[in-house]
Amino acid sequence: KLNIDVDTIQHGVEGLVYLLTESSKLMISEVDFQDSVHVLGFSDELNKSLLQLYLDNRKEIRSILGELAPRLPSYHSLEWRLDVQLASRTLRQQIKPAVTMKLHLNQNEDPTAQVLQTDPATLLHLIQQLEQALGEMKMNHCRRIVRNMK
Amino acid sequence: WRLLGDPRRFPRRPFAALLRAAFRSLLDHPQAGNPFILDDPDLKDIDPTILKHCHAAAATCILEAGKQKADISAISTCLEDCKLDKERIEQFCTEYQELVTVVSFSIGRSPLHITDVSWRLEYQIKNNQLHKTYQPSYLVTLNVENSDSESHPDVSFSCTMEQLQDLVGKLKDAAKSLERATQM
Repeated sequence: KLNIDVDTIQHGVEGLVYLLTESSKLMISEVDFQDSVHVLGFSDELNKSLLQLYLDNRKEIRSILGELAPRLPSYHSLEWRLDVQLASRTLRQQIKPAVTMKLHLNQNEDPTAQVLQTDPATLLHLIQQLEQALGEMKMNHCRRIVRNMK
Repeated sequence: WRLLGDPRRFPRRPFAALLRAAFRSLLDHPQAGNPFILDDPDLKDIDPTILKHCHAAAATCILEAGKQKADISAISTCLEDCKLDKERIEQFCTEYQELVTVVSFSIGRSPLHITDVSWRLEYQIKNNQLHKTYQPSYLVTLNVENSDSESHPDVSFSCTMEQLQDLVGKLKDAAKSLERATQM
């Protein structure tokens, strides 16, 4: 319908894709974008529409690019259950409390679930350690780095 | 058991040595399993087949007694039925009492057991797909142990601060209900 041959269209599309992804990846400012596009020698009107295209779409492009980064299995949720073991084939008359958990993780969009168990003492230790981890973000050291890196 | 009780086949010193060996082979960590546990010099005069049977008998008795949490009188009665003389019964019971209080017979299957946790807080600046990401994230590793004492790779996962808060919240709920259960 456009009356242009396939190769030109393909190059055109690829060019646009490259322009938009690179700009979004680097999160360049409006001014920088305009300067870069100006070099290509297009008309002002075209430059303006390119800029608009960039601004409208960069958030979405960035979130898609974010999915491509290497990732470890990520936390999804945790179910837990309190058990008391009363007997087993090898030992009768026990009273052994245990916390059984199902840890739901996402590995590259595939959900996995792992059943784990722990005893009350370790549970309290886990809570203490992870609370310490959470507390770290609020420490001055981390705050300073986050502030200065923006 | 008959063989163990027979004073002709099994004089006093070998009996004591065999008892010691049986207890030790059960209580020592399986991985440190000493294949030569029956190499006690007191036992060398006894025919190896008999030794093997008696060791198995002693071990089974110890395990059954531990499983049922049998008290000394129950064990004594049982051993009397096996026609062991009084002195040997006393020897068994003494050894049993000394060693079993230390042991918890933790054999049997269970899901992977968490023993410890380590965490790492990182602040991502950029990756090859996306620059200026500026995202803090946590990498949590749960050290786990298999009931078969084979090592199992640790369970690791990444999470955001909100997700870690969710995890800690749930763990705290579990701890609270544990506390309430103990007060009932």
